[in-house]
Amino acid sequence: MKSKLKILRAERDWSQAQLAEALGVSRQTINAIETGRYDPSLPLAFKMAKLFGCSIEEIFFPDEIEK
Amino acid sequence: MNTEERRSLGNDEIRTIIMTAITGGAFGLLYGYGFEFSLWLGVSIGALFGVAIGFRISIKPPKMEYPMSIFRRIMMAATFFLLTSFGYSYLLDQDLSQAQQYWAAILPLLGWAALIISIGVAIANLDELQRRIQTEAIAIGFAGTAVFVGGYALFQFSGLAEVNVGVVIFPMSVFWLIGKLWTLWRYR
Repeated sequence: MKSKLKILRAERDWSQAQLAEALGVSRQTINAIETGRYDPSLPLAFKMAKLFGCSIEEIFFPDEIEK
Repeated sequence: MNTEERRSLGNDEIRTIIMTAITGGAFGLLYGYGFEFSLWLGVSIGALFGVAIGFRISIKPPKMEYPMSIFRRIMMAATFFLLTSFGYSYLLDQDLSQAQQYWAAILPLLGWAALIISIGVAIANLDELQRRIQTEAIAIGFAGTAVFVGGYALFQFSGLAEVNVGVVIFPMSVFWLIGKLWTLWRYR
């Protein structure tokens, strides 16, 4: 699964550590999600969507779809 | 972000260093007694080794960072485990009756229980990726140990020396470490 997490984070000028703190996870988790090596759980995805004020589909999308 | 960043020593780091020193001291006490050299020497070397590890972890945290309070809790349980193991070894060397020896054997089991509970609580406190890494590492450790023990049992039929079942902790630790490194690399 791919994500726009890095772009959304950059738009807000947040570091991985700041985003991790806001979501209550480790910085490594944010890094693994951004690099596409780890797919977050649904509760974490919802938390991210709430934090960025968008829907989950706007952050995450399947590998074959490029946004 | 630079994960290799060095930290200065705050209260949290000093508490970690003290805890690892105590655990190291307990380890030295057990080995000093087991290998029959000076207990003070064992405790001192163990504590120094513990300080070195605590210092290293505090100023240069591992790439996959965990809350230090979780690490300290595990160290506390490990200290209890080492001390109960020492108590067991000491009691066995006394002139105990058979029934008393059975009771003494319960002592390290309390230490094991504390260690398992602290690890369980620690895993429950990790975030989802860290929990997955630990779970996969434990699964690899478990499977590796099963294959190793099963394989060794077959070689025993061919004349390989019988060993104390307690040594199973060593292959288990090695396989857990391999599993941890493998999963850390996967989610790097």
